[in-house]
Amino acid sequence: MNCPICKKKVELTDPFMPFCSQRCKTIDLGNWASGKYVISSPLTPEDILETAVDTAEEA
Amino acid sequence: MATESYDSSNIRVLEGLEAVRLRPGMYIGQTNEQGLHHLVWEVIDNSVDEHLGGHCDRIEVTIHEDNSLTVQDNGRGIPVDIKPEFGVSAAEIVLTKLHAGGKFDANSYKVSAGLHGVGVSCVNALSEWLHLEIWRDKQTWEQDYEIGVPKAPLKATGKSGSKRGTKITFKPDGSILTVTEFNFDTLSTRFRQLAFLNKGLTITLTDERQEGEGGAAFKTAEFFYAGGVSEFIKLLNKGKSTLHDKPMHFEGQREGPTGTFMIELAIQYNDTYGDQVFSFVNNINTIDGGPHLSGFRSALTRTINYYGTQAGLFKEKEQLSGDDVREGLTAVLSIKLPGAQFESQTKGKLTTDVQGAIATFVNEKLGEFFDKNPQVMKRIVSKAIDAYRAREAARKARDLTRRKGALDSGGLPGKLADCQEKDPERCEIYLVEGESAGGTAKSGRDRRFQAILPLKGKILNVEKARVDRMLGHEEIRAMITAIGTGIQSDFDPARLRYHKIIIMTDADVDGSHIRTLLLTFFFRQMQELILRGHVFVAQPPLYRIKKGKSEKYIKDDKEFTKEILRRATENVKIELPDATVMEGTELRNFLIQLDEFQQVFRRMERRLRDPRVVEALVNAEALDKKEDFAEKASVEKLHVAMTAVGLDAKLVHEEEHSSWRVIYKDPTNAERSIDVELASQPEYRRLRNFARQIAKFNNPPFKVVREGVVKDSVDNWRALLEYLKTEGTREINVQRYKGLGEMNAEQLWETTMDPEKRTLLKVNLEDIVQSDVIFNTLMGEDVENRRKFIEENALDVRNLDV
Repeated sequence: MNCPICKKKVELTDPFMPFCSQRCKTIDLGNWASGKYVISSPLTPEDILETAVDTAEEA
Repeated sequence: MATESYDSSNIRVLEGLEAVRLRPGMYIGQTNEQGLHHLVWEVIDNSVDEHLGGHCDRIEVTIHEDNSLTVQDNGRGIPVDIKPEFGVSAAEIVLTKLHAGGKFDANSYKVSAGLHGVGVSCVNALSEWLHLEIWRDKQTWEQDYEIGVPKAPLKATGKSGSKRGTKITFKPDGSILTVTEFNFDTLSTRFRQLAFLNKGLTITLTDERQEGEGGAAFKTAEFFYAGGVSEFIKLLNKGKSTLHDKPMHFEGQREGPTGTFMIELAIQYNDTYGDQVFSFVNNINTIDGGPHLSGFRSALTRTINYYGTQAGLFKEKEQLSGDDVREGLTAVLSIKLPGAQFESQTKGKLTTDVQGAIATFVNEKLGEFFDKNPQVMKRIVSKAIDAYRAREAARKARDLTRRKGALDSGGLPGKLADCQEKDPERCEIYLVEGESAGGTAKSGRDRRFQAILPLKGKILNVEKARVDRMLGHEEIRAMITAIGTGIQSDFDPARLRYHKIIIMTDADVDGSHIRTLLLTFFFRQMQELILRGHVFVAQPPLYRIKKGKSEKYIKDDKEFTKEILRRATENVKIELPDATVMEGTELRNFLIQLDEFQQVFRRMERRLRDPRVVEALVNAEALDKKEDFAEKASVEKLHVAMTAVGLDAKLVHEEEHSSWRVIYKDPTNAERSIDVELASQPEYRRLRNFARQIAKFNNPPFKVVREGVVKDSVDNWRALLEYLKTEGTREINVQRYKGLGEMNAEQLWETTMDPEKRTLLKVNLEDIVQSDVIFNTLMGEDVENRRKFIEENALDVRNLDV
């Protein structure tokens, strides 16, 4: 597999697997901390409805 | 310079020599090994100064068997004329008067080393004996000293012809110096450095105490670097991979407060994260820097930022710092500065203000280089941007564990509903997506040992018409804090607060996205928890089937289909035209096969874009193996079948695999192909297998018999499947849970949280490696890959599941 940050090759037995180094692992944590990891999907009418309901409930 | 004369009138006497033997430490620092070698530096400085003046290109140093040492150069030779006010030779003054030397007269030498400025007289004073030999103006001159005192005046002793230079041999005085043995490595390290810093100067070192390699009489070393500081850089970067092959090498003259000075600078970047920058003033390593180094650094930062901006390489607000541009930097800055002033006795820091002059020089030269080498510039800027982003990331990572924000008095996240039990081994934490599901879980849990942490994982981006699944800063923080182990170098599994960490998300695509995010986070940042078996996935039901007072929960679509087909076959039999009757388990298995067949059929339909093509493939006789496609007759039959249902298809021979293929136009008028390649797809093979399995009973029309009476007749397998699915849902109430929030607290407890009844999936590393691959594709920066992945898996939730 490849290091998710720098794409260098990483073996399953490497100490920082799946990262190549502590540095890349830290960068990854920083990415989590700043909300860089996002899975997007197209907005459906249900999503909008659901959010409207949620917002109403919260209010 | 050569036109100016160098004789005794150039020599000025500053101070007497008496104190040196009394307080040697004041002059050479220490009387140990360091002090001993200091004597050599003093002597060789005079020769290097001759080189700086352009008069000398070779210095030979010899360590003799008795630990006396000779330094010989081919410079102009120390002046020998009589200095009128002293009545002795200029050479004798240099050798006997403290701080006497040509270097104190700016006319003679523009620059000089200066570090060792106490002069060679010091060496003389601290030597048991010293022998001086000068070749100048075709004459040889000699003089001997004992503990600094001349035994006789300087005397002409012969003809030297064209030979020029100075030779000083001295034996350090063991009654003052505690160490008197010269160290070969100490000397060669400094000589190598001097050779780097003084392009074109050869320095040899001969050690008569040691035999050389391969039968040579003595151990020797020679230092000569035509490339100067660039070769120093190459040595520093040896074995590292560099961003550009050749070091940048800049040379020039600039005006400083004390006149014109020389600058030599070499730069090369490598792919490491450290930096090695050496600065020298008049051959002295200024380890504490000074204005020359500051000038270089500020210009480097400014120039790289300028070019990065010009090339549009920065995202908004990015501004590289000095630390960023120095990652991977190897540089040597060497200046030869007349009248250089240093801060302290050790001369580690320059004080002469040359900052502006050096900064201008570096801006100009580096700018020219970047203009000519835009590729190298881009690599260097990108490297610095990486460094910047890494630093930013590290800062944000540190912020995660700072104690601030929504934590309660015990330091736990406010959103956490903790359990009463304090023994981690018996505690569980549910990570639940969504506030409402979190609320249900809070009411449904057994608060004695179950904790709930609701996570917000969904953000609507209405402008861009998409849903972003992500775990924000606060969610990640809350999770790390609640789990208790710390993170990165602080990670300590002994502080784990719950031995079961249970991810509970909706049983749909959205839920699987959040699950993937969470699993990826654990895999990357808390992997040990997975290895120790602490991470689980809850299995909330997808359906509830209710008949009268009995209820049944079903976890997925596959099980749901089985269940309703089971119910349908309780009361119904099927009669085939040949009077065969199917019932019970046999009927149920046939129906399950039909259902799976239907799914494969749909999947193939998505690939081939036309149900008629799939139907033709289902019915084709022998089109399974590679060889089948080599038979024209077999493929031709398919072609005929396809044309018969109105498809625009043609039969084509394919040279590449020496086989036949059918090319047809799909509803969008795009050409598609039925060929060997398609036949090698697992989906194709599954389609053909199922087709064979169902063939035995796929014999419509099907008569539906209930309670001994034929109730209906359906004339194809699809309709049969549909009919019986409807039959199976008669008299029952089916609820499909879109999310955890649709269950009430009691239902959630009973189906998903009650340790007596629930099924938890323990997450193992293999699952997760797979999850990381999916994650990388799903959120990766490779937009094209992601688009393809989502397209191909649009309706195939299976692939998103872990």
